[in-house]
Amino acid sequence: MKGRVTAFLATAALLACGLSPVASPQNPAPAQKSATVTRTTAQQSKEGERRFQANCGRCHNAPEAISPREVKAVLQHMRVRAMLSAEDEQLILKFLAP
Amino acid sequence: MSFSKNVFGTLLLFLCSASALFGQSDTPILSGTVQFLGTSNAGANFYQPVIVPILAVPLGDHFFIESRAEIQGFIARDNGTTGPYSGQFIATFDYAQLDYIANSHLTISVGRFLTPFNIYNERYNAPWIKNLPDAAIIFPIGTRTSGSSDGAMVRGVAVARKKFEVNYTAYFSALTNVENLGSGRAAGGRVGIFFPEKGFEIGTSYQRFLQNGELNASGAYLVWQPPRIPLDIRSEFAHSPNGQGYWLESAYRFAKDRRNISGIGRLQAVARIQQYFNGTPQAGDSLPLADTNRFDFGLNYYLPHDVRLNGSYGRQFSSLGNANIWEYGITYRFLFPAWPGGSR
Repeated sequence: MKGRVTAFLATAALLACGLSPVASPQNPAPAQKSATVTRTTAQQSKEGERRFQANCGRCHNAPEAISPREVKAVLQHMRVRAMLSAEDEQLILKFLAP
Repeated sequence: MSFSKNVFGTLLLFLCSASALFGQSDTPILSGTVQFLGTSNAGANFYQPVIVPILAVPLGDHFFIESRAEIQGFIARDNGTTGPYSGQFIATFDYAQLDYIANSHLTISVGRFLTPFNIYNERYNAPWIKNLPDAAIIFPIGTRTSGSSDGAMVRGVAVARKKFEVNYTAYFSALTNVENLGSGRAAGGRVGIFFPEKGFEIGTSYQRFLQNGELNASGAYLVWQPPRIPLDIRSEFAHSPNGQGYWLESAYRFAKDRRNISGIGRLQAVARIQQYFNGTPQAGDSLPLADTNRFDFGLNYYLPHDVRLNGSYGRQFSSLGNANIWEYGITYRFLFPAWPGGSR
């Protein structure tokens, strides 16, 4: 009986550790998750800048200021003019309006 | 009660539809350029104030309306180099088109659009974009009659790989004699291959002009922007029975990062050479009547707030007379939402 109780407690402890959000790298803490998202956004913005230079930047420089309200019309205009792909459009969006 | 429910429901439906059609992100924009250009050509002075507004209206993710007009003034002496100054203004629509963006490989445009022959007309013939104020001598080849076409066009990237992309354009244009909206009856297209990692593109164009004796025009172009050097090399060759020629332009920006705010980094030096060989002249071909060679050198200075100053000198050699051409100007690029509301 004592052995069964010990086994139950050990299993419960293992499960508790396994479910802990701190220990598992597959389930990062909110702070880690936020850092990962920030890093991903920064990478996308950098890639967006590269695509801007490779496509739009071949003819002109970026406007000095562009608001989120304006960015969709600008990008659709460039999608037609510079034959951007949907992926280019999304990445350049991250660069122009991060 | 039932009436008020119906009114409320209808209003909600209307607002939802309007939001879906013209949501916050679908705000139309008004962009474009204001330019003032002064020219001294073989002793004759003239001035050209130009406004080029562009209206862009997104309609969801697949439909898009875009339009560009050009309001241009021409102020010159009545007798060339003597007499009082007088001016006239001309307004034209460069394009007014409805685009259906089917996917990355296909966009269908109907209406009035820039004739896609080589690259100058579609890419560089806008005041903010072109490095030198004057259009290339061979510009009228393949873009007759007005540089714009009235009809339908398909375009897109046929093949997209990491190392290269194949882009294409094909169109048909109808004859239009409406004032300021003129176009010729023609069909043609362009194919290019672009190597993004090298910053290099090469392509070829063809136009069959289907009126006035049916002429063929063909051309080729290349663009090279080395990734590590702020150098921009562009060139075109065009041939038609009326004449043939080429231009080669090189522009060097003194800073690799175009957002560089240092004094010298805002400077751009430009040089262009052109050669034109006369063929069989035809009324309305807008080409020189004799073989012409021309060299231009210019400096552009990009000030903050999208303002640019430019100055250039050109020397033209022709059996009809040589000429010195001095040009200077100021250009402002603007961009703002076409209707108020929301936060910037």
